[in-house]
Amino acid sequence: MSKIPKVQIKDQKSKTRRRSDDKFAYRTVVISTVLSLIFFVVSLLFNTGIISIFADINLIFDIIDVLIKVIAILLFFLFMLISIGNYKETTGKPLGWKEFLLLFILSLGQTLLNFIVFIITFIGLLIVLVYLYLVQDT
Amino acid sequence: MKKIGYSTLSGIILINFLLVSSLFVIKSFGATEEFDATFGEAPIIDGKIDDSIDEWKTASKNSINLTDLPIDLWIMQDKSNLFISVQVDLELSAHNSTEFVGLLISNSSSENQEDFTDAKIVQFTNIQTNDFDYLDYYINNSEFLNDTNYHGEGAGKLDGKVSVYEFSIPINQPLTNGYEEDTLLEYGEIYAFNISYGKTPSYPDGIIKSEIILIEIFEPSEEEQFLIDVILLVLTIIVFSIVGILSGYYIIKIFKLKEKMERLRS
Repeated sequence: MSKIPKVQIKDQKSKTRRRSDDKFAYRTVVISTVLSLIFFVVSLLFNTGIISIFADINLIFDIIDVLIKVIAILLFFLFMLISIGNYKETTGKPLGWKEFLLLFILSLGQTLLNFIVFIITFIGLLIVLVYLYLVQDT
Repeated sequence: MKKIGYSTLSGIILINFLLVSSLFVIKSFGATEEFDATFGEAPIIDGKIDDSIDEWKTASKNSINLTDLPIDLWIMQDKSNLFISVQVDLELSAHNSTEFVGLLISNSSSENQEDFTDAKIVQFTNIQTNDFDYLDYYINNSEFLNDTNYHGEGAGKLDGKVSVYEFSIPINQPLTNGYEEDTLLEYGEIYAFNISYGKTPSYPDGIIKSEIILIEIFEPSEEEQFLIDVILLVLTIIVFSIVGILSGYYIIKIFKLKEKMERLRS
């Protein structure tokens, strides 16, 4: 017969699982942050015109230019949202609407120099928001 | 850990600053300098800058070198004229009594010599008494020919040790009334201007210092658009800076979170 009570074993298992969950959440926070910062730099380079290799050549290159700008911002938004969400979860607080709104505005603010990029990014961000709303636990 | 956090934040702010700064550097590297004519109230072309009535207040004010001669170059426009002021700051003894400043105007943004077909010159006949002539030439194969009708205005005055030259050049004039001998400046186009300085009234032989610049002529409605573009650029820089700074702060928080988690585990 075991000398350790069953309740204690259960507690230890629960603690180990929580630690493993925390570790996983922290890893996700770090990886998501790194990815979002990479896309932020891509967005900075293209949306401010520091790099304009695809602009003003022909229509196809213009489309590629717009797509790079939009995708960079949307992925920045998505990964930063995942990162902040997991960070908040690790600290035991929910992701508030203030953080959500700030991230939305800062993402959209990156598009101010190009109206087409602004419109497409705005639609993209709304789609991401609707998707996140639908997949969350009710 | 706190040290690492601050280093990361400082690093991110520095990278952000450098990237944003490069926005201003890349466009100006290696090319002929381009200036935008800002809108403003027409100044009186008399060789005198009257601060009491805010003359040239809204002009784009720049410093350039004519070869090795530093000058102040002010550029402004209204609906019907382009205004240029050149100010040469020299020791009094270095001013020649018959010095001049000329604007050689290309018929496009081309900087080829044969495309400079128009010249407006303010030629001092005696700088000490502020006597000058305004000359309007048509350039044909480097030969300066007097225009049948002079257009625009020009004036010069020695103010202390600064000789001030003012020019007014018509914009969007029809190709009649003798304007065929002038470069027609049109809205929305960029033109090359050769700013020339000399000491003897002989053209082009008397030109001893010069510099080619580009000037964009705006439509009156473009003024607002230009202002909007500048505001949007500033806002974009602010947004990217905020994201950069907040990211730095967030990274510090992530480091702190790791510390906290390790403390809880032990």
